[in-house]
Parts: sequence; C-alpha cells; structure tokens
Amino acid sequence: MPVTKVLTAGIGEADLRDIDVYRKRGGYKQLERAFKTMKPADVLEAADKSGLRGRGGAGFPTGRKWSFLPSNDKPRYLVCNCDEAEPGTFKDHMLLEETPHLVLEGILLGAYGIGSHHAYIYIRGEFKRGAEIFNRTIEQARKAGLIGKNLFGTGYDLEVTVHRGAGAYICGEETALLNSLEGKRGEPRLKPPFPAVAGLYGMPTVVNNVETLAYLVPILEKGAEWFASVGTERSKGYKIISISGHVQKPGNYEVALGTPVRELIEIAGGLREGRKLMAIQPGGGSSACIFEEHLDLPYDYESLAKAGTMLGSGAMVVMDDTTDFVKAAHNMVRFFAHESCGQCTPCREGGDWLETVLHRLVEGRGVPSDIEMLRRVGHQITGINLCPLGDSIEPFLLSVLKRFPEQFEARVLKETVSA
Amino acid sequence: MADTAQENLVTVTIDGVQVQVPKGTLLVEAAKLIKREIPVYCYHTKMGPAGLCRICLVEVEGMPKLQIGCNTAATDGMVVHTQSANASEGRRSVLEFYLKNHPLDCPICDKGGECDLQDYSMAYGQGFSASIDPKVPKPKAVDLGPTIVLDEERCVVCQRCVRFDDIIVGERQLVLKDRGVKNIIATATGEPYRHNFTGNVTELCPVGALTSKQYRFKARPWDLRRTTTSCTQCSVGCQMHVDVRHGKTQRTMTVTNDDAISDWWLCDRGRYNINFYDHPARITQPLYKQSGEWMQIGWDDALALWATAINEAVKANPKTVGAIGGGRLTNEEAYLLAHMHRASGVQNLDWRAGRQRQASPGRGSGKLLDLESVDAIVIIGESPAERAPIMDLRVRKAAFQKRAKLIRVGSFEEPYPPPIPCQDVASIADAVKALPQNAKRIALIWDGVDVSAGKTAVEAMPQDAQVLTFITGEQPNARGAEAMGMLPQAGAMDTSAMLAAAHDGNLAVLSIFGANPMLHYPDAPFVRKALQNVPFLVVSDLFMTETAELATLVLPAKAAFEKSGTTTNLAGDVLPVNAAKSLISPDGALTDLEIIVGLAQQLGVDLPSAEELDDSVIKRLASTDESFTFGDERYARVLRQAQHDTKALRVVLQTKIFAGGGTSAHDDRLAELRPLPEAAFSPSDASALGLKTGDYVDLILRQAQDDKRRAQNDETVIHDLLVDVRANMPQGSLALIDGLPDDPGNCFPEGAHVEVTNIRKTHAVLEAVTP
Repeated sequence: MPVTKVLTAGIGEADLRDIDVYRKRGGYKQLERAFKTMKPADVLEAADKSGLRGRGGAGFPTGRKWSFLPSNDKPRYLVCNCDEAEPGTFKDHMLLEETPHLVLEGILLGAYGIGSHHAYIYIRGEFKRGAEIFNRTIEQARKAGLIGKNLFGTGYDLEVTVHRGAGAYICGEETALLNSLEGKRGEPRLKPPFPAVAGLYGMPTVVNNVETLAYLVPILEKGAEWFASVGTERSKGYKIISISGHVQKPGNYEVALGTPVRELIEIAGGLREGRKLMAIQPGGGSSACIFEEHLDLPYDYESLAKAGTMLGSGAMVVMDDTTDFVKAAHNMVRFFAHESCGQCTPCREGGDWLETVLHRLVEGRGVPSDIEMLRRVGHQITGINLCPLGDSIEPFLLSVLKRFPEQFEARVLKETVSA
Repeated sequence: MADTAQENLVTVTIDGVQVQVPKGTLLVEAAKLIKREIPVYCYHTKMGPAGLCRICLVEVEGMPKLQIGCNTAATDGMVVHTQSANASEGRRSVLEFYLKNHPLDCPICDKGGECDLQDYSMAYGQGFSASIDPKVPKPKAVDLGPTIVLDEERCVVCQRCVRFDDIIVGERQLVLKDRGVKNIIATATGEPYRHNFTGNVTELCPVGALTSKQYRFKARPWDLRRTTTSCTQCSVGCQMHVDVRHGKTQRTMTVTNDDAISDWWLCDRGRYNINFYDHPARITQPLYKQSGEWMQIGWDDALALWATAINEAVKANPKTVGAIGGGRLTNEEAYLLAHMHRASGVQNLDWRAGRQRQASPGRGSGKLLDLESVDAIVIIGESPAERAPIMDLRVRKAAFQKRAKLIRVGSFEEPYPPPIPCQDVASIADAVKALPQNAKRIALIWDGVDVSAGKTAVEAMPQDAQVLTFITGEQPNARGAEAMGMLPQAGAMDTSAMLAAAHDGNLAVLSIFGANPMLHYPDAPFVRKALQNVPFLVVSDLFMTETAELATLVLPAKAAFEKSGTTTNLAGDVLPVNAAKSLISPDGALTDLEIIVGLAQQLGVDLPSAEELDDSVIKRLASTDESFTFGDERYARVLRQAQHDTKALRVVLQTKIFAGGGTSAHDDRLAELRPLPEAAFSPSDASALGLKTGDYVDLILRQAQDDKRRAQNDETVIHDLLVDVRANMPQGSLALIDGLPDDPGNCFPEGAHVEVTNIRKTHAVLEAVTP
C-alpha cells in the first residue's frame, strides 16, 4: 500500500499529547540535536535540500522562503499558520489535536532555523479543542525546558505564543493573518513589502503551514536526501491528503507526492457501489475540477498545474453522479463571497454577483443570459485582485460549468431539475 | 554629485512617451509628469498606495498579469501601456463591478459633476453594469457626526477616509465594518465622528458617500464661482478655494498643490466657518451712542466725529490717544493703521488684544515644510492642535511618519491620539533632557503667551543644533501687524498700559480694529471698567461684540472673503487675500482699509499711493528678518504656580477652534461644534474635591488683598462649568476654554487662583436611581 506514516506515525496508537509518550518515541531528539550540534544555517540547508514545499496551498519552496529574510539585526518572527479553513482540508486540525508535540517541535526547529526568538502559532478560532490541547502542549514543553530562556544550555532564548483567530477564512492568507495577529482587521496587505522584509510588527517574518513545519522533524531525523528521494522531480517528499466527498472511507492519508489520483481514491475506499465518478476537486475549494480522464494523473504540484488546476492544500473532494453541480457551485461561490474581506473591488462585487446569479439558478429562476453572465463575470474577476481569494471564486464554478453546462441550463426558466 | 543624481534616475516609457523619474517613483506619479491619467480611487499622493480599488491597472511589458499603477515602481527601461486592449478591459471590468451595487443616483447626489465614478465611467467604462439582480441595500443618509452625512450605498470602499483618519490625523475613528459586499464605513465605537479635520474626508471621498452637512443639496459644481485665497481663521494661512453661489459662500475646498502651507488639508474651522457673511447680526451701518442710546449715522458723520475727537485729544495731549488691532487685518491695512496714527501724532499702538505677547521669532523663524525634516519638536504652552490646526497635522506627520521626537512642556491638553508618540514633560529642563542625542534640527513651537517660558526654551536648546521657532498666533496676521508697526516704540504705551491708563481715566480716544479684548484679554471685569472710562471708544468690527457694546462709535467692517490684500502667516510667508467673486457683502460695510483712508482724509494725513503702499509692506516684511529678540518682560505675566493648594486652583486658558465671539458665534451652522463651557481638572485635584467627569461646578475668585483693580468684597463668579477630569492636566491648575461669549474664561486675571464651589454631582444622582 502506498500509504506511509511519517507525520501520522503513532496517531491512533499512542497518546502523543503526552510529552513523555512523545519523547519515548524519539520526540524532541532532533530539536536537541539541532540546538547542540547544528547552526541555524544547517537547519535551513536541510530544509532547502529536502525540496520541502509549503504545504499550506501555494507550494512555495520552504528553504527559499527562509532565504528571503534580509540579514539585518531586526528581531525576526516565525509564524505557524494553523488557520486551516480551505474547504475540504482537515489535516492541520488532525496534527494539532493528535500530535501537537510534533507540531511544536517543528515550530521550534523552524524558529531556530531562521534565527527567531519568538514564534507564534495562529490557530483557527473554531479549533477550540485544538487550541486547548496546544496550550497544554506548550506548558508541558516549558516544564521540560524546551521553551524559554537558554535552551539546552546554548544561551538561545525562544518563546512561543498562541493566538486564536476569530472566524475569518481570509486570515489564512499570510498577510491578513499578520494583521489579525497584530490586533488589526484581518485583511490582506498590499505587497510589496513582503513579510520576509516587513511582516509581523513590521519586522522580517516567515509564515509557514503546520504540516510544513512538522516535516522538518523527520527531515532532520532521516536526512534531507531521504525526503528528496521520494516523490517526483519537483514535488518531493510526502504529503497528507484530506480525501472527502463520495468515497467510502474519507480521511487523511499520508502519501508520497506523485501517487496517481486513481490510487488515492482507492486508498479512500473507492466510490460507493454502483456510482459513477463525475468530478474531483483536487486541491481545496479554490481549485478547478479534474475529471475521469485525469484519473491517472500523478498527484503532484506540476501535473495538476498542467491539467489547469492545483494541488493547493491537498484536499481532494470526490463527486459522483448524485452531485447537483449547480448547488455545489453555488455552495462554493457563496463561501468565498461570504469570506471576502471586501477591501478590493473585483472580489467584493464579483463574488456577490456570481452568488446572486447562482442563487437564482439553484431556485430555478435563471434567465437565458445567466450562463454567459457567469462565464463573463467569472473571467472578469480573475487576475486583478489584491490577494488570491478573489482568484479562488471562479475555478470550481467555471470548470463544472464547462463540463456540465446542461445542469445549469436546466435551471433556466424551469421549476425543477433532475438530480 | 551630478552622477549620483543621474544614477538615481530611471527612464520609463508610458504610452510611448519616455519620462525620467527618480528610482522608486510610482507609475501613477510618473504618468502625471507626462500628463497621462492613470485613474485612482484609493491611492492618494499624501497617503500613498493602498491597492484596493484596482482601477489603476496598467499593462507592463514582460509581466504576465495587469499591474496596479499605484504600487508599481518605475524601473529603468520599463514599458507601460495604459490604453492597451488588456489594460482597458481590466479597467472596464473593475468599473462594471463598481456599478454592480452603486445606486447610480447621480441626479440627486451632491458629487454629481465632480465625481470620479461618473468621470471614470464616462472615460473608461460603460456607465452601467449588466447585472439584473437587485442591488445590496445599505443605510442612507447616515448621520456620522456634526459635520458629515454618509451614504453607504454610494461608497466604493476605497478606504481613503479610513486611512486619512489613521495615517494623517491619527484619530482612527473611522473604520471599515463587516466584510465582503456588506462592508460599511462607520466609527469604531459608534460615537459621532468628531475631530478638527473631519471635513477633509468629503474631499477625499471620490464619490458622493461622504458629504458635508453644510453643502448638501446646495449647488452643482458648474453653478459655483471659485476664488482662490488664503484662510485667515488662524495664523497658518492655508490656501483655499472659496465657492460662491447666489452671492453666498457655499463651501471651501483645499488647494491640491499647496505643499508649503496646508499640505492639501483644511481644518474644520477654516472649512466650515463661512456662513456668517449674511448673518442678520452683521452691522451694516455706523452706530453712534448718545446718552446710552444707539443711533444709525452716515459714514461721513462717523468719520468726522472720530477725526474731531482725535484732533482735539491730540491737541490737548497726544499721549491720551491710542489704537489697538491689526492682527485681524491685512498687512496693508495694518500698515496704514500704524502710519496714519503716527502721522497724526499718536504713538500708543499695539496689535495685542489677548494673551499672546509676541508674534515673530525673527531670524529664528522656520517654514512649515521644515517640520518634516526636524529631529525633534518641542511644544511650549498650548499645542498647535487648536491654535494652528493644520500645522499640527504637520507635527503629527513628523512624529508619526518621519519619527521625529515630539515633546510637550507643561501640557494640559488632550493627549495626542495613540499612534502619535508624544512625551509630556513638566519643565523645559526635562524637555532638553528628553531631546534625542545628536538632534541637529529642532523645531520649537511656542504659543507666544508666557515670554519667560519662550525665552528660557530658546536659550536652553543645544548650542550646536539648528533651532527653528514657530509662534502660533491667536490672531491670523499678528506677525504681519507686528512687522507693519502696530507695536509701541520706546516711551509709548502698549495694550496693557493703555488699559491701565483708561482705567484711571487717562485715555481720551481709543480705536479698536478687529479685536475683542473683552472676550480675550485677561481680567474682563477690569477691561470693562477700563473701556467704559474711555470718553471716545471706536470699534470697527463685523458684529456687536462685547467690546463694541462699550463703544461710542461702532463701524461696520468687511470680513475676510470681502476684501483683498496680503496676510503674513506664523512662518512669515506673505500670502494673498482675495475677495471672493460674486459674494454679496452688507451694503453699509467698508473694508478697514477704506475706513482708515476715510479717516486719514478727515485728519488731513497724506497716505502713500497704492504702489508706495505695496513697496512699504514688502520692505517692512523683509526687515523683520532680524535676530530673535523677546518682547519686553513687562508684557509677560508668568503663569507659574508657586504653591499647590486644592482650595485655590490656578486658572489656565486653552484655545478651542470653534470657541470665539465673532465669526464662530455668528455662524448658525456651527452650533453643534461649539464647545460647552468646561473646566478641566487633574485627577488628583478632582479626587481631593470629590469631582468626576460630568459633574457641574462654579468657580469663584474672591478679592485678593493686594489687588488694587478690585473693590473690597468684589467677587467674580463663573457658573455651571462641566467638569472634565483629564489625565495630563497638571496638579494645582484647572483649564477653562478661552473665548466662550457666555462663559468667558478671561473673566479672571491671568494666573488667578480660584475656589471651586457649588459642586453638583450628576453622577451621584444617576447612581442613586440605578438599582
């Protein structure tokens, strides 16, 4: 079976929330080794050589992101992005609640790697239990001398602060997250300047996803070469895929990047008896759908980009022939329109526009010009926004509209539609 | 030198036109240089890019997506297209989005005819959106505060107003609330939007969302006759446009290339105090008091009576004649006022009519623009926030954006809003200690009141630093009046001496021009007695002021927008004053210049010709460029507290921009903005007296033993003052608002110690009824 257990090792077998259990399984060994025997630059080098790419959605090479930090004597911050809210994604949620010490060790390693003395974790507001667990995790670690002053006798001080979000999807965007963390309205900042230059409180900052930071631990343990040997040419290593929708065993599965889409569906128990695959949204709510003909596509950053969609956060939603794509599209667009911060125009107005039209179609009150209107407005929104949210509104809609136009047309001037 | 300048220049091609600009110049600004328009909503030259409106999309060769012109810096060899098919389509798309929910109620919108959404839709869009669905309804005609009405539906969410409140003013009252398409502009706390600069948001607003209560439904831009002039409400002299329709001032607008003085902003007093011109209380005819009764007389009779009085008094003893004023006149008027009097043998001349003792810092004077390049700003006495508001925005800019150290000495005003770092210190010695090391350029802002404080500060500044001094005047042209000769020369009497002489019956004729000492000169009961004892008191003013009430002869003068000339601001800039075109002024009123010329003819004094006048004014202003000398110490009434005693608190006065007895009191549209009479206490004095904010108190001054000005058992009382407990009020002092006609703060002598009596605890009552 292609399912691996790297980050997910031990989950469901032992209580990894207990620091003693975690340590017995080799936890915090890499942290100690890094502090005692490695320079921060060595950690950065390992991250770079491993080919690890950001697991939050953008897939930006982690080592390269760190290297953008200017070499000045300003304080610098590491921020762990645990505002996981991309529709269909539930991997960080699991890591936070099931193996929080691994997450913390990753954060501490990342902070050390960029030379930061204060790390923050921004936890999605709805993750109440996760935040409670993580606060206990930090307490345990502090008692064990893993957080605070003079770590491992090296003279290196490192603090970790937990900040909880207040329920806005946009705060997962790194600059909106920084605004929210500073106590400001959670809306994306104009770039440049980029966070590496002027981030949290105007200081050089790196924002990394939970999963990204957690992978630092096995990378240090088994070596960058081990991680780089898995996966494809440019999508290296492992990734937790959240598979949901019309599969028999939805859940988080850790696999090597490049595993064919067909295999992923099989891992998740396959489709229900007698059902036919209609569409797959491969990378979270922001991604366009792929279809039956893409089943042999390797699940990696490049292949999915080539197919006109993206790997994103690694959330695969499988849809069979019971799906009402007009409703599904409305649901997706309504989510983004609702979550738009509204500061920039195409996203604010365009999202509302598409939602209004789709709402009418769902209710069977469409007019003939609506289909063309959806296409036109969808294209019109894209590529001119301040942040990626605006560009996330249309991919699902336009991909299913192109594939299943008859479902949309059926809603024009008719009361009902066949399911 | 030339090489580095050359290195820092880049060449960018915009629509086929090459332009050289400094490295880092944003495309929107570069395009302006070659007269290409890149449309913007959220971008503002004084606030920088925000990247929100997405209307400034341009195509840059080599970049796959359209770029925003407001946050793309020009690089060498960059080729930009603003009119390509891609850029045009991007812009059209954005404009169509704007019209998705905009109500398109242009026919009833105040902005119609000067609206950026209208203009850009006409130029780059299609004027409608293809949406067939209902528009999102939002609150209309929201009463945002005393000055502003907001239409949320028209709002294009550019956030210029929000950013103005944050970056420029530092108040952070306006915020964007809710999210997505339900976004609205509101105050963060839900309280009314209120500070001294609110009106600017109506000009920043690219559409008709934020409108001035004053100008709503008044006119279309093409109905207005525009004149550009200098504001003479305070000593900053902001450049402004005055728009007139139907013979009335309808509104004032900023001049958006005035970097040197206003920095493109106006304060609310300058912007909104424009509705007194046709007030029924305007004096329209000379008034002569005979046996206690006013009667209207003609100008010829008035001038003849006045000339006769002066002639007779001068013949008897020239020392019994004097004149006060000039600070509210133009340079030309002040010059002629001094010239005419001296030519007829009158030497007792002074512009001072309030607390301010000095107007010009001579060669030590700084320019307003200098404030942006100083290392530290030391404020002595009252801060410019209420005395010279637009200058205060420059102070905030220096402290907040340019990181200059801001130090206030002995401040008793509201603290600066949070993003503006300011250190309050108790003494000038502490201020010197707080100065940053290696401060090379220091700005000293002094209110001109306490001469010894000003002098101590100038002398205490580091010797190796360049010190630029600013004196924030009470009167707009105080500096000009001082330069024009409205100051007593050796042996002559100043205002203080003239009032003392009058009190003792030793002044025969006193002429007061555009000044109201009864409301602004300390110790009003004494001033009253003094003026009542002048046999022939002449007052030239717009309204029947407290001072004019005591006069023998009252002359109706013309106001700022009704006359032309020049004025000198606190930085020594000579600025044009232009009569507003097509403004109708009262029939019987004359400008002070016309009045002085008329009197000079009666007196047989030769006045200079117009050319000679201009020449003399310029020469006199040039000659003020002398070393910084302080006025005679005898003008100074040092406001220093010897001993602290809660039973007798020292009175200090604070300026508030909307207080005052003349134009402000006679502008009915300012009612909501005028401050209520209040007394500010320090927390420790308040707790000793058992006071809370919101209580009411009376203040009483019992006759002091050594006060020869007052009779035995003579008490001065001021009633019903609202208590304001203020954290940075120094212990032992209480602050009253200067210039409130009904509760004049100047009813006590300067530095008087008063008792707090008759405390009414409004809170206690409220607490008692709360279960």
